[in-house]
Amino acid sequence: MEVKLHDIGEGMTEATINAFLVGVGEQVRADQPLVEVQTDKMTAEIPAPANGIIKGFSVKEGDTIRVGETVLIMGAGKESVAPKRTSSATAQSTRILASPYTRKLARDAGIPLEKVRGSGPAGRILDEDIQSHLLVEPLPKETPERTEADSIPFRGRRKQIASKMVRSVRTIPHCTHFEEIDVTELLAWKRDVTDVSMGAFFIKALSVCLKEFPIFNGRLDEEQECVHLQHAHHIGVAVDTEEGLIVPVIRHVEEKTLKGIQKELKALTNKALDHTLTAKEATGGTFTVSNVGPLGGSIGATPIINEPEVALVSFHKTKKRPMVNEADEIVIRSIMNVSMSFDHRVADGGTAVRFTNRLRDFIEKPGILLMEMI
Amino acid sequence: MVEKRDLMVIGGGPGGYHAALRAAQLGQQVTLIEQGEIGGACLNEGCIPSKILTHFASEFRKQGHLQKMGMVMGETSIDLARLKSYREEKIQGLRAGVEGLLRSGGVEVMKGAASFLSENRIGIENGHQFSLFEFKQAIVAIGGKMEYPSRISMKSPFVLTEREALTMTEIPEELIVSGHDYVAIEIAAAYAALGSAVTLLMEGRLPFDQAIEREMKRLLKKQKVSVTTEVTILSVSDDGGVEVDYESPTGTRQVNGTHLVVCGKSGADLTCAGLDRLQLECEEGKIKVDGEGRTSIPGVWAIGDVTPGPGLAIKAIKEGKVAAEAIAGKTGEMDLEWLPAIVHMDPPVACAGWTEEEAKDRGYDVVCSEYPFRANGFAALKEETDGMIKIVSEKGTSLILGIHMIGPGAVELISTGVLGLEMAARAEDFTFPLYPHPSSNEALMEALEELTGHAVHLQRRKKKAVR
Ligand SMILES: Cc1cc2nc3c(=O)[nH]c(=O)nc-3n(C[C@H](O)[C@H](O)[C@H](O)COP(=O)(O)OP(=O)(O)OC[C@H]3O[C@@H](n4cnc5c(N)ncnc54)[C@H](O)[C@@H]3O)c2cc1C
Repeated sequence: MEVKLHDIGEGMTEATINAFLVGVGEQVRADQPLVEVQTDKMTAEIPAPANGIIKGFSVKEGDTIRVGETVLIMGAGKESVAPKRTSSATAQSTRILASPYTRKLARDAGIPLEKVRGSGPAGRILDEDIQSHLLVEPLPKETPERTEADSIPFRGRRKQIASKMVRSVRTIPHCTHFEEIDVTELLAWKRDVTDVSMGAFFIKALSVCLKEFPIFNGRLDEEQECVHLQHAHHIGVAVDTEEGLIVPVIRHVEEKTLKGIQKELKALTNKALDHTLTAKEATGGTFTVSNVGPLGGSIGATPIINEPEVALVSFHKTKKRPMVNEADEIVIRSIMNVSMSFDHRVADGGTAVRFTNRLRDFIEKPGILLMEMI
Repeated sequence: MVEKRDLMVIGGGPGGYHAALRAAQLGQQVTLIEQGEIGGACLNEGCIPSKILTHFASEFRKQGHLQKMGMVMGETSIDLARLKSYREEKIQGLRAGVEGLLRSGGVEVMKGAASFLSENRIGIENGHQFSLFEFKQAIVAIGGKMEYPSRISMKSPFVLTEREALTMTEIPEELIVSGHDYVAIEIAAAYAALGSAVTLLMEGRLPFDQAIEREMKRLLKKQKVSVTTEVTILSVSDDGGVEVDYESPTGTRQVNGTHLVVCGKSGADLTCAGLDRLQLECEEGKIKVDGEGRTSIPGVWAIGDVTPGPGLAIKAIKEGKVAAEAIAGKTGEMDLEWLPAIVHMDPPVACAGWTEEEAKDRGYDVVCSEYPFRANGFAALKEETDGMIKIVSEKGTSLILGIHMIGPGAVELISTGVLGLEMAARAEDFTFPLYPHPSSNEALMEALEELTGHAVHLQRRKKKAVR
């Protein structure tokens, strides 16, 4: 029985093999996770379709495969690993004793014959030896050849991110609007409210803004010539992981408390870092936020919209700066830059400015947000 | 304008045309480019014409036997002009056959000289025409280039290359053949059978098991070929004939003849076909390839005489198929371990596997047997009793390590041996099956039985207690 990669998420076409969760020769139950795969958005497990025994893998860890491709072969029911007969071969032989057909079996399975012990007469390697070798030893991992330049793989998540970014920039006329926001008071507020992070506050504030400017929570439908304004605020949070960007989604932010958002944000970030997000947790966003502030260093950048969403907001590093207050005095304030990219087909600069102004008000005077909370 | 092609095969020799046909069988779109004649060196100048000559010679030698049996043929003489037209007719027929196969196999055949312009472009020159192609995959199958010792002037009308020797218009009176492998032995033996006085100067030793070498030398001597091995030619002078000074382990000598045939060594010309424009990794002056024919440049493959290893059609054919299969996504492998070595002398020599010495060098505890064709009934009725078979096997396991033979039908018989070696056969695997009777096959069976002293047709002085 061939176990294939099936579609596990919205329109996914390919996935990278992260890890095998079972070994060749292992008995498995139906629904037991067999292989962990990685798509651009999430990590998922492929479960066993039935009880059986793992015969061999058709792919290697790190391979990127398409939906419909075979991942592994399972034997039905209970099978025992063939007992190894001891070989009577004298150790000195430099000849590998195997018929051309047996050698082809090994070649096709990617098994070096030197590794196989022959159980046939005079130590000949038989077809069964190749099969039982497959059962006891997983396929050798390919060690990447050292070429002159160091290279890192451009596949799996990185490749998916790349194609998504390109598609987004090619289809959406990006327009980015920058703003600076005084976070001095928010920082003071945060000292008292230790169990809520700045990030959770931003997400809630954005959700409140989206209620007032639903266009930024829309989805353009060019065929039907309309923009669907979505009521649910499923906010994607861009998380920077070693393998690249992952965007877990906090669903129904508009119905959640700051504490609830904080709890979910933390859990989802950890899952993203451990690649344990489920399909549901990594898809279906309506708006995305990226908080690069904690990384330090960025004062502004053009965020690329998480297509098919309409906008994305990035929060950059907070820095103490001399500012002029209303009394024309120079004061030291904590200032954070914000950049907002939006789909210029759907909204205009003025709307974006009004949106970020509203966001700025909430952040500069955290108390105002209270008025808008459910 | 650049035309696009999936797979381009450069060279229509045995390597190239096998690759093209196999790839086409596997659904590839194939274009084969040939600047000369389809069939390459093998069909037009090498294997086929040389075997026409050796076959002619051995049939000629049989006439005494045929007359003895009662065939009345009148006076026999040799008409080399007739042989020439026979050869041309046969070669043309075979070539037309291959061309027909390529056509019906859907292979696009182009005339012209191909030249790499870059790692994915080829230009084809045909007269005044030049066309440009972009390919996904290309197989370089341009064959080899014969190299001759620089101290011998090949320009003299009395000095011939091995290819020229195959198409001589007169039987040379005194022929000197200088060479290093089977080609030289075949030419020497053939012309000796046709009446020349032949001197064979071999560069090294004969590359066979010592028992075979001994028998070959004995038979060549009987056929009036004087054989000297481990020879270095010092000089050749040409004065209406040839005078060859050479050195051998017995000292410096001179030999005179009407003609000298010099058999070249197979090398590769990596300056042709634009190969020097590619940064191809090379080995022994040839294109380095992996077990499936991949070169160091992705999408560029090489097979046959242009790659390292013996310059043999046997190898080119197999490499062509393996590369085609790899291109079509199948796994294949080149393994020359049991490559048979063949000499079409009369009787022929055919060997596969390790000699007794090689097996011992590899650390095997060896048992050998020898079996003379004299003991074979079928050979006796044909009066072809010269020759013998030697088996090399491992003591204890009776694993067969080498099969060496000189005798009637050896070239056909060795296939059984090669198959056995590939199957990792032991003596029992050879002696258990049923053999056609009467036939030379039985000689092979008995040679294997003789490993344990069981061969029925060998007379023993004292009956050994055999298990
Ligand atoms: C006298 C003699 C006897 C032999 N006997 C035997 C034998 O009994 N058994 C055996 O196994 N082998 C034998 N061989 C060896 C055998 O002929 C070669 O090993 C074999 O032909 C090699 O095949 P190939 O496909 O690599 O190249 P080739 O047969 O040399 O074919 C190469 C082809 O490529 C063409 N070509 C070259 N460059 C270009 C270009 N730029 N563009 C287009 N076309 C190009 C050439 O015209 C040629 O047709 C013999 C050789 C000789 C000389």
